[in-house]
Amino acid sequence: MALLSVTNLSKKYDSNFAVKNVSFEFQPGKCIALIGPNGAGKTTILHILAGLLRPTSGNVKMSEINGNSDIRSFIGYLPQYPVFYTWMTGSEFLIYSGQLAHLSKKEAMARANELLERVGIADAGNKPIAKYSGGMKQRLGIAQAIIHNPKLLILDEPVSSLDPIGRREVLTLMEELKNEMTILFSTHILTDADEISDALLLLHQGEIVEAGSINILREKYQTATIELSFSHNTRFYQDKILQLSSVDNGYTEHDSIHVSASDISLAREEILKAAADEKWPITSFTLHRASLEDMFMKAVKK
Amino acid sequence: MQWMTLFKKEIIENWRNKKWIWVPLIFILLAIIDPISNYYMPQIIDSIGGMPEGAVFEIPELSSAEVILMTLGQLSSLGVLVIILMSMGAIAGERKSGVIELILVKPVSYQHYITAKWAALLSLVWTALILGLTACWYYTVTLFGELPVISLLQIIFFYGLWITLVVTIVIFYNSFVKTPGLVAFLSIATIMAMSLLTQVFGRFLEWSPNNLSGHIFESLMIDQLTGDLIATAFVTMGLIISFLIGAIILFRRKSLAE
Repeated sequence: MALLSVTNLSKKYDSNFAVKNVSFEFQPGKCIALIGPNGAGKTTILHILAGLLRPTSGNVKMSEINGNSDIRSFIGYLPQYPVFYTWMTGSEFLIYSGQLAHLSKKEAMARANELLERVGIADAGNKPIAKYSGGMKQRLGIAQAIIHNPKLLILDEPVSSLDPIGRREVLTLMEELKNEMTILFSTHILTDADEISDALLLLHQGEIVEAGSINILREKYQTATIELSFSHNTRFYQDKILQLSSVDNGYTEHDSIHVSASDISLAREEILKAAADEKWPITSFTLHRASLEDMFMKAVKK
Repeated sequence: MQWMTLFKKEIIENWRNKKWIWVPLIFILLAIIDPISNYYMPQIIDSIGGMPEGAVFEIPELSSAEVILMTLGQLSSLGVLVIILMSMGAIAGERKSGVIELILVKPVSYQHYITAKWAALLSLVWTALILGLTACWYYTVTLFGELPVISLLQIIFFYGLWITLVVTIVIFYNSFVKTPGLVAFLSIATIMAMSLLTQVFGRFLEWSPNNLSGHIFESLMIDQLTGDLIATAFVTMGLIISFLIGAIILFRRKSLAE
């Protein structure tokens, strides 16, 4: 049973769709990345899921919900730029959040201490949030999002605004949390998505252009290419390569030839065989795997 | 339980930003200006040069009730302004800064959120009002003459209703307006419009909340609660409840992230 299923979700502002007919669902225990350029509608979708925005049409269902219990009890949410009550200390804010999520004062305090430790700001727990750095706020933000042990953790661009060290720490933390809850996060940084997510939702102009597990998508958008350079006569060899039966396409850029083929291993074999037989003056030979970026560009262009 | 958490947070916040100190101080100051300045009026006039030779200027003998009425006038202008400016960001400020996103993604009841804010503001304002009017009463009794304690309690209660209405109007605009300054403007405009209506259609709006001070004065003069005062109190309570319910409904309807 899917943890969350979203059907035909749309959000319209005046006559523009910020999100258009989006449907997806995912299983518990996964880490899903919502990918798209700025303005693709990522934040709008997350806002709707977190209950901060009402969709124009469509609906969101969570399997945990029975009857009239509040969907927000099962969701933890971290906005892109979390803002806190700066007059509170980090620990006070966590206790307050916990109590709002119906923990008793005692439970909330215990949980706050545990989480301060876990996200690595235990030392700053009793300092006012006004004195926190950006990275500390982000970590406090994650702590408040998981204070009530939600089933689904929603993170909006959790690492985009952090420096490399902060980014690494938050990614490690997310990696750990993956074992405890389902995570849905948005990002425009494709390498982050590649690194920790199991599945992707590619969003473009408010619509989902592709969805699925990373490996399946990779296969689907298999765009491996071979890049070759020659010491001389590049043109001449390009024509030769294009005559090979397994090669679909090829072009020259910066003195190296980029070759694409539907069966890339066959193409490699043929090229290397021809090169050996005819003593081609090859200076380099590289096989490129599809990057998430290529995949994304291809899916968007479709 | 959750309501208490929200309420306590407001109380602590107002303590840390010192509202619990300066709001009562301002109210005490506003409330004692009239008894003191009126009592010392002859000396004040003397000290700035006195009356010209031969001029006859009778300073009217003020009764306690008249002094109280003047104080209520003071509170209804400057006091109300202080209340509006102090509470204009109660929700609008949280919406503007974005902290409301972190609060309302928790399973927080919208009703609790609004009423806790409302109640916390009221406890602050009522404290200030009680301290201010008690100080005013003390000076009035010392300088102008008898006024029983029961009258003081009546003044506090009935005038408190007017102040409660002001707070409720500010909360009402807070529930759907995003800019604190605009909340203040709309609240002041509403109160001014009410006052204008009361003056223009005075005959039909005898029980308008704007007449509370006047009815309090009449009751003090005849030393018993008038029917008009009690009716006005009920009308005011009705308006308070309507504005509060309106605030909850509008707050629910407004999507938070817009």
